[in-house]
Order: sequence, then structure tokens, then C-alpha cells
Amino acid sequence: MMEKTILKSSFPQWIKSLQSFKVFIPKRENFGWELSSNNQILEIASDYTYPVVPPKKLIFPQEEIFFEFEQNPDNGIELKEVLPEESPQVIFGVRPCDGRAVEAMDLVFGGSFEDLYYWRRRRQTTLVGLACHQPPSENCFCLSVEGSPYSEDGLDILLTDLGDRYFVKALTEKGEKLLSEAPSLFKEITPKDREEKERVHLEAQGKIKRHLNGARELPEKIKAIFDSNFWDEESSNCLRCGICTYLCPTCHCFDINDETKSLAPLRGRRIRTWDTCQFPDFTMHSSGHNPRPDRASRLRQRLAHKFLYFILLYDRFQCVGCGRCISLCPVGIDIIEVLTRARNHGK
Amino acid sequence: MAAEFEPRIVAFLCKWCSSAGADLAGVSRMEYPPNVIPIQVMCSGSVSPLYVFSALSHGADGVLVSGCHPGDCHYIKGNYYARRRLALVKKLLEYIGLEPQRFQMSWVSATEGVKFSQLIYDLVKELKPLGPQTKFRRNY
Amino acid sequence: MVSLDQLKEEVKKALSSGKVKYFIGYENIGSGWQVRPAFIRQPEDVDRLVWTPACFHNLVRFLHDEKRRRAREKNPDIRPVGLVVKGCDSRSINVLLQEKYIERNDVYIIGVSCELTGVINITKLNQHLNGLKPQKVLFGSKGTFKVIVDDREIEIEAPDILADRCLECPANFPVIADVILGEEIKRNPGNRYQSISAYEKMALDERWSFWQQQFSRCLRCYACRSVCPMCYCDECVADSIAYAVTAETTADEKAQKTRWVERNPELSENIFYHLVRAIHLAGRCVDCGECERVCPVEIPLRLLNKKMEKEAKELFGYEVGFDPAQPPLIACFRDNDPQDFIR
Ligand code: SF4
Ligand code: SF4
Ligand code: SF4
Repeated sequence: MMEKTILKSSFPQWIKSLQSFKVFIPKRENFGWELSSNNQILEIASDYTYPVVPPKKLIFPQEEIFFEFEQNPDNGIELKEVLPEESPQVIFGVRPCDGRAVEAMDLVFGGSFEDLYYWRRRRQTTLVGLACHQPPSENCFCLSVEGSPYSEDGLDILLTDLGDRYFVKALTEKGEKLLSEAPSLFKEITPKDREEKERVHLEAQGKIKRHLNGARELPEKIKAIFDSNFWDEESSNCLRCGICTYLCPTCHCFDINDETKSLAPLRGRRIRTWDTCQFPDFTMHSSGHNPRPDRASRLRQRLAHKFLYFILLYDRFQCVGCGRCISLCPVGIDIIEVLTRARNHGK
Repeated sequence: MAAEFEPRIVAFLCKWCSSAGADLAGVSRMEYPPNVIPIQVMCSGSVSPLYVFSALSHGADGVLVSGCHPGDCHYIKGNYYARRRLALVKKLLEYIGLEPQRFQMSWVSATEGVKFSQLIYDLVKELKPLGPQTKFRRNY
Repeated sequence: MVSLDQLKEEVKKALSSGKVKYFIGYENIGSGWQVRPAFIRQPEDVDRLVWTPACFHNLVRFLHDEKRRRAREKNPDIRPVGLVVKGCDSRSINVLLQEKYIERNDVYIIGVSCELTGVINITKLNQHLNGLKPQKVLFGSKGTFKVIVDDREIEIEAPDILADRCLECPANFPVIADVILGEEIKRNPGNRYQSISAYEKMALDERWSFWQQQFSRCLRCYACRSVCPMCYCDECVADSIAYAVTAETTADEKAQKTRWVERNPELSENIFYHLVRAIHLAGRCVDCGECERVCPVEIPLRLLNKKMEKEAKELFGYEVGFDPAQPPLIACFRDNDPQDFIR
């Protein structure tokens, strides 16, 4: 672990020094912030909040090609493996919640079976976090799910904005390597830097307005009301769109399809794409039977995955409290409210 | 010199008129460029906009829908429906930025072999300078 | 002015007389000013209802859910569902009637007039307030909105923050309803196709590069489709498997199902999806603006549908949603429909 500071005026030089990486920096678009690698931007804007589409898309892209297949003249099928490119990338401006989300995805795609495609991208990715001064959204509730506006989980570096400079904490070897690309830009920290950093962190914590109390009681509670009509009422205005899950930094469900380019000779590819438990066809069996036939069971699934199953499996929430699903839901379904009502249900 | 670009035109031809017209051009030994991939449909009115979009997404450089002249439809009204529906398709495609030459509609009767062959000459001539259609084409 | 008390009274009446199965209106989200669709099942719950300039949702879409529920249940309760509808929403009811998707007595309609205003666009409001956070957004008097900020009241001229669709609204008054609240005052819509004129004027390639940028960021979350009152197909060409698969569907049928659009979010597939959707909405879209509002990456979908609306009007003299008895746009024709594009 290494702690330094860097002047904001030196920041562009640091970025420029990262020649051997593809560098992503938040860019303002008309629809909000996006992580962009257009090489034009050399600093993190002071009013940056967080990207609409979370950084997961750079590690677990919406489309991943597994292999290509082709029928050869003697009717055999030839497979050609397609792997993600060798191209190390650095993502700047990862908010602590989104960093924790990547850590949660690591659990899913790791463990006893390692997902080749995921890890190939993940190992080549350096996550440079940026502690929150202000909650990026009025619906932020990271504190309630064991996170914080300055959490280091999942990150390689955590930056804290101290006005004219950043407090730089390298947390992993990958992070240290990034500092070593331009060592002269980084200064030793002073006790004052540290003090200021602590103050900023503490203040940020106080600015978070929304809270989900008693989240650890939820697993039991969700089990208890699993079959109740609670879910019908809560989901009555759900549209069954994919916003809450596609834009969730931890949602990682996918579909695998063969796309054929030609039938004779047979030619095509197998791809993985994002999928979501909120689409009715997600659980459709080939018999036509659908075990999650209605909005109630789908809403329950989304919340139970995050606040029950994931806890049973990994002893942590699969929600990092970024608030995106709340802010972007077209009909105002609010995960904090729903879970709070779930907790109080029957009381 | 690189070989000249030869556009591929997917032509949806109604069985009763335009397809017969194309056949007539063939049996009368009229020449027309080999750039057309004819697909016989029962009626121009059965051509769903999906067919047009799909041809473009599969890489057609041009799409033609051809049916009987107004009043001559074997199913009485099919070509009138086609006319209305495909007018909208044409407007939509151009609005998105597809060159107008790439989507065409025509009336060709069973006796109009000459018209058909001339039409194909014209379409090929108009499409050549545009080069391959890549806007809507699948990339793999 | 639409009276909220009167609205509550009407809903209460409809619920307590058992005339409607349940009622869908709007309620505040938490203690804030934003609203969401509210399902009111008991007369005593009518106090949850609100009517504000943030009631942009088109509730007609929920009739699809009701229809599917009825199809699933053995002995469904077939009483009508009650809805609050604005002018644009009411036109979408007419389209559903026209297509015989619903029948008139499947829905009990409380229409509200937008009078001299309409609903707001949140982005415009935020820009107007320049960083200040609204506490309440209300209808003002005579074509204004009243916004409470820092316990101060600000009056904003409607056109400054109205949703684009309201600026181009052909009838800001319900065209079909059982009860109508508010006055039928017509706000002059100006040019109904203002928003698309700049795009129509662009050079072809400029237009292509504009749309290419828009479509390439589509996530295919299908929120636009899910929220649309007209997107009720059980089986959409954009889905990799059909919802309409039943126990009777044979393996052969499943294998033969044409996959028009692949699931990958590449430009070609995104365009295909949006072309299909635009053409399927031609003559059906009522410009309620919901698709554009819900898109998380703000793809300007109205510009597509508006273009089709304009062409339907200009080429075929067709207006959407005013007459439930008129045949659908592409299920009719006139002998003299334009054909100058046909060779
Ligand atoms: S589009 Fe018209 S009817 Fe709809 S909310 Fe706006 S003004 Fe009212
Ligand atoms: S809502 Fe937007 S992102 Fe989602 S599918 Fe529609 S256009 Fe694409
Ligand atoms: S296409 Fe969009 S504007 Fe038109 S009816 Fe559907 S949701 Fe409303």
C-alpha cells in the first residue's frame, strides 16, 4: 500500500504517461456521464457524478463472442475460439460503490469455475476509484449495504479530491504500477494531507440522505414472506423493462445464443449477451412453462438475489447502494422503500 | 484495376404480375444485368416491412418490391395496401439516412418484360455509384 | 382547473359502487414531488391520489397487463379498470378500441384536461432551476407552473418547461371519457412537427450520422417498448424466444421460428429493432412521449414516431386516435394514395 498526492495540474501528465493502456475517463454526454476512451479528456470534471452505464460494461460487456463455427467441406464443424483482446485498460472515476460491485461480480465469475472471458478482461483492468465528496445521486445509500463513499473494496487506487490535489492511495500492485508510470508527479504525503482526506471522507458520509435500515434482517424476512401477496402489490406498476438490471453495477445475468450467418455451409458464432430476470422470457422453458410467470415473482427474484441468495452464498449483499435503479425506474419502484416495507410486513 | 462494384438487388416480385413479367423478359431472351436476386411472393401486399429491413441487414445493396398495376391485383386490393405501407417504409428509411435509390417499388405486369428488364438496367446504374450498402448491414 | 377533490370523489364513487375493479391514478413518490402510477383498490385509499404537472405517465399501458391477467385466470373479474387519462392518453385508448384489443366497457375513463399547460419535462425543469431542487411542482393559474423551491414560490411560463410532446399536442383534452374534469381550453400547439423539421432538413449523411450515434448506444433494455400503450404484441420480433410459446408449440415450430433480430446490441440489430418499432407504430403512436421519457440513454425516439405521424397525415390525411371507428392506417387505402415514388 502506497500513499501519495498528485496536483490536479499534474494530472493530465499522469494520464498521458499511461501510453500502454487504454484509458477511460468520465465524459459528459447529453444523457449523463459516460466512461469514454477518446483520449481527449485528461482530467476528471469537478461536477462528475457517476456514469449512467456502470463500469461493469468494460469488464462484462453487453456482448461477448465465445467462438465462431464453420462447416468444412467434409461436413465437420470447425470451431475458432475468440478471446477478448490483450489490451490493458485503466478506468478513472470509478465510484466506491461501483468498485464494490466489481468485487461482487468477481465472486460470481470466479470460485471453483473461472469464467475465462470475464477474467481475461478483469485481469487487464485497473480500477482507479474516486471517493465521493457529494453523493452522486440523491438516491445513494451505500452506507446501508456495508459500503461507504470512500470504500476501497475492489479498487486498485482510491483518489480523494483535496481541492488542488488528489490524495492517492494505491491499494494493489496494479495500482502501484500505475503510479510508477510517472513517479515524479507524485509527492510524499504530509500529516495535513491525511487529516484533510479523513475530514473529506467523514463529511461525505454525512451527506448521504437515504438509508435502508436493518438490511441484515432482510434475508430471513424475504424467506418468511416469499409466498405472500406482498410482491403482487409492490410490483403492480412494474413495466418488465430491463433498466433496473442492465444499469445495475452488480447484475450479471446473461444469455447465450448462436447467431448463424449462413445455413449452407453452416457458419456463425456463439455469443453471450446481457439478459435480465425482469424479462418474461428469461425463465421461459422450452415447454412453454414459465416458473416466474408474473411481475411479482420477477420483482421478488431481483430483490431476493441481492438480499437473500447472495448473502447465503457469499455473506454479502449483492446491492452496493448506488441508487441507479431507483433514479431510472420509469414508474418509481424504489428498492429502499420496497425492502423497508418488506421488513415491516406483518408487523 | 479493381473489378467494378456490382450491386446486389433483392427483388420481391408478386407471383401474378411482376414475377411473370420477369419470366417473360427471360423467355423472350431480353438481357438484363444479373444483379437481381428474385424472391417470388404471392402478392406485393404480403411484403412485410420486415422483409425489406431484413434484406438490408443481410447486406442487400438495393431492395425492390414489385407488384401488379393498380386495379390488376389478383387479390383485388393487395397492391394498394403495399403502396401505402411501403411509402411509409421508404420515408422512414430515408429519414434514418439510407440513400433513396436503395429502396424502390414498381408496377410490372405479366406482359411488361421490356419494362422489367429496363428497370433492372436503371436500378443497377443508379446503385453502382453508391457502392456497397453498409449502413444497415450486419457486421459479422 | 382540474379539482383534485373532485377527482378523488369520482374515484371513490366508482370504487365504492363496485363499478370498477380497481383504479389507476397517480401518487407522489415518498415525500417528494415526483409521481408514479398508483393502484387504488379501496375507496379509503383515494387520498393517495394526486394530479400534478409530473403526471406524465400514460396509464393506458396497464390495460395490457389486465388483459393478460384475464386470459390467465379461470374466472376473471371482468369489471372495467378505472384510469386517469390526459388527452394524449385518451387517444391511445381510441387506438386500442380501433384495433379491438379492448372493448369500451373494459375501461372506465376519468379524463383530465391539460387546459393551458400539460406535463413538464424534468430536464427542462432542472435546467430552468439551475441547480436548485424543487420541493413541489404544481399547476399555476393561466398557463403557468408553480414550483416551490427553498420554500419560495416560482412561477414558470408553461412553454419554458413543457414536455416537447405537449408543445406539439393536437388536442390537450380527452377525446373519450366517462367523466371529464377541467375545462376544454385549447392551447395553441403551433407547428405540430416542429421537433423533426431540423432533421428533415439535414443532408442525408448528416442524418445518418445523427441516427447512427443515437442507435449505437441503445441498450435494448426495451423500456421504450414496455412503457408504450401500443406495444402489446405477445410476441415481438425483437425477442429471441417468443412469449407466445405454449405447451402446444411443437419443437419444429420453435426451431423454424425466424429470428429477425439478434440479441447482440450492435448497430445493425439496434437499427432493426427501432425500424420495426417505428413502422409498427405508424398510424398508432399517439405521441404520449413515454418511450422517449423512459429511455435511460435518452435516445430521441419521438423524432422517429413523429416523422411517421407526419407522413401519415401528409400522404394519407390520417390522424391517429380521434376516431375509434376508423380503420387502422395500414389496413385501409384510398384510390388516390400517392404513388409518384413507384416506377
Ligand atoms: S401531450 Fe397534450 S394531452 Fe398529453 S399531456 Fe401534453 S398537453 Fe396534455
Ligand atoms: S429505452 Fe432506450 S436503451 Fe432501452 S431499448 Fe429503448 S431506445 Fe434502447
Ligand atoms: S411510441 Fe412512444 S409516444 Fe408513441 S404511443 Fe408508444 S410510448 Fe407513446
